[in-house]
Amino acid sequence: MDFSIHHDGKDWVASCGDISVAAPDLDSLDRKVESELGKRGLLSEQGKTMVRMCFDTRTIPEWIRQYAQHYFNRVVVFGG
Amino acid sequence: MTNQERKWYTGMLTQEDWWAVWLGLGFFLLGLLSIGGIDVLGWITYPKKWVFSLPEGAVAKKIVTVNHAFYPLGAKYSQTAKDFYKGLGPIGGILMTYLVFTVATSIGAYFMRWDLKKYITGWTIIFFLTYLTWFVGHHAFFSASVVDLKKSHFPEMFTLSLGGGASFILALIVGLVIGNFFKPFAQYLSTAAKPEWFIKTAIVFLGVKVGYLPIKAAATSQKLGHAVAGLTFDLFVAGAAATIVAYMIFWPGVYLISRKIFKLPRATAAVLGSGISICGVSAAVATGGAVRAKPVVSIMVSALVVVWAVIELVILPGFFTHVWPGTGDPLVAGSAMGMSVKTDGADAAAGELLDEFMRAKISAETDGKVVWPEGIITTSAVMTKVWIDMFIGLWAFVLAMIWVYKIDKRPGERVPFSEVWHRFPKFVIGYFVAWFVYLAIFFGPGHAGAADGMAVLKAAKVGAINVEKGMRKLFFMLTFMSLGIITDFAKLKEAQFGKMVWVYFVALFCFIIPVAVLIAYLFHHGMMIPTLGAAG
Repeated sequence: MDFSIHHDGKDWVASCGDISVAAPDLDSLDRKVESELGKRGLLSEQGKTMVRMCFDTRTIPEWIRQYAQHYFNRVVVFGG
Repeated sequence: MTNQERKWYTGMLTQEDWWAVWLGLGFFLLGLLSIGGIDVLGWITYPKKWVFSLPEGAVAKKIVTVNHAFYPLGAKYSQTAKDFYKGLGPIGGILMTYLVFTVATSIGAYFMRWDLKKYITGWTIIFFLTYLTWFVGHHAFFSASVVDLKKSHFPEMFTLSLGGGASFILALIVGLVIGNFFKPFAQYLSTAAKPEWFIKTAIVFLGVKVGYLPIKAAATSQKLGHAVAGLTFDLFVAGAAATIVAYMIFWPGVYLISRKIFKLPRATAAVLGSGISICGVSAAVATGGAVRAKPVVSIMVSALVVVWAVIELVILPGFFTHVWPGTGDPLVAGSAMGMSVKTDGADAAAGELLDEFMRAKISAETDGKVVWPEGIITTSAVMTKVWIDMFIGLWAFVLAMIWVYKIDKRPGERVPFSEVWHRFPKFVIGYFVAWFVYLAIFFGPGHAGAADGMAVLKAAKVGAINVEKGMRKLFFMLTFMSLGIITDFAKLKEAQFGKMVWVYFVALFCFIIPVAVLIAYLFHHGMMIPTLGAAG
């Protein structure tokens, strides 16, 4: 599953379609994403569910983007 | 709508980095047409050293009168359209230069979704301010050396002998005045003041320069052409070696200074370590992402890096020229510059300034008997920096693995290898393509400077010179001006930076710069620039 991730100054926010969860650190965020996917029946019952989170570079101020565009993309595997 | 790096080709039309490649290689390809006798770039207009009127007995050779202060390069170098470019004259040439680059950069601005109206207005102001400072900076009082005066049969007079460096310094001063005393105006210009875009484009143009250097030297002798080609490869290899050593020493050193002396948190120390010791803003952003720091940490470090880089740009070229390593070891100085000065813009600009200062100094010291080809010292500074830039992706990948698997130990998280590509500086592709194509022309149809290859090399020179001389210098000038505009020294006083300002100061002047000179000495000592003799 593909999520976008950004930081709103206080929390990390992960979004995918109508799913949007926020948490102050990435550990909590991952747990919330896992829980939200579970509630919606989107976690694989047999094995692992891979979630890719691509950083929304609009979080970085425009003047910095000329130096570096990419912050990070991360992959989290639930049920591993 | 979000803006994410999902695919390997993401950003090809929306990022400055890629647009530096498209602009740089676009003009590089147009330059290559000269091999087929088509010279379409001769309009690029370049300055000469000038005075209001020639003293009695003087001849307009190295120094000309004010009405000849600019000329389209095609008026001098074109083989097929010299009369057309002569007909343009200085004003026509500048207007055509403005028109072509306004269209070319506006296409980029459009695809990057900038405010086009603001960009074109800002670009127009920056462009003409740049040409104005280029003009003033080339007045003989600022730029002419003793040798220039002698060649133009001028009487002895005092000049600052800064060469083309005077214009760069002036552009930086004008930019800094705007950036620090006219802040609303600077804010308005910020849409068009893009030093990193301009310098990355200039570095692609520098690739043409590096490839063209052997062609230029071969005009003096075939042996000299070979020597220069060999030297550029030596710089390439030595730059890589020096960079690896620097990474191993700089980053851990600054990290320890931040942690042990200044007691900064782990993630902040990592981001600061990369920002100060590797490649400035891009390293700070890459490392921030790698160690999963909140973006504000990278943003704060980046704001510091930009200001400190300009301080280095002001201090180091003069220091390296007149104190140490001096003209005895010009390539040690160039390489040390590449390792010391953060951000590509400030480093390449400092390298270019160093090039101007060193060449003016050696010429004065030897009464014009030693003439170094323009651009080799700049190349030594940029070559090291290019390696540093290329490694940042790998370095950030390693840091990400350490943080994710060893420090944070976040269950289930993996670090995708595609991160290395997303962080790879794309403009270096343009730099290497331009370099290797001209090198291939030199060793291929140019027969390495042998008599039967000279016709091809002379035709190639026409296109190359427009790009490597006219466009490269113009984009360097634009970089100096834009760097000044976006640099606000008041940021150093902002309370939230606190200790970080002092970490930067201590790490830079007590650790990075001395160690950079030492490493540069180890890898570049003894490499000498071939002289073009008194050819001028």
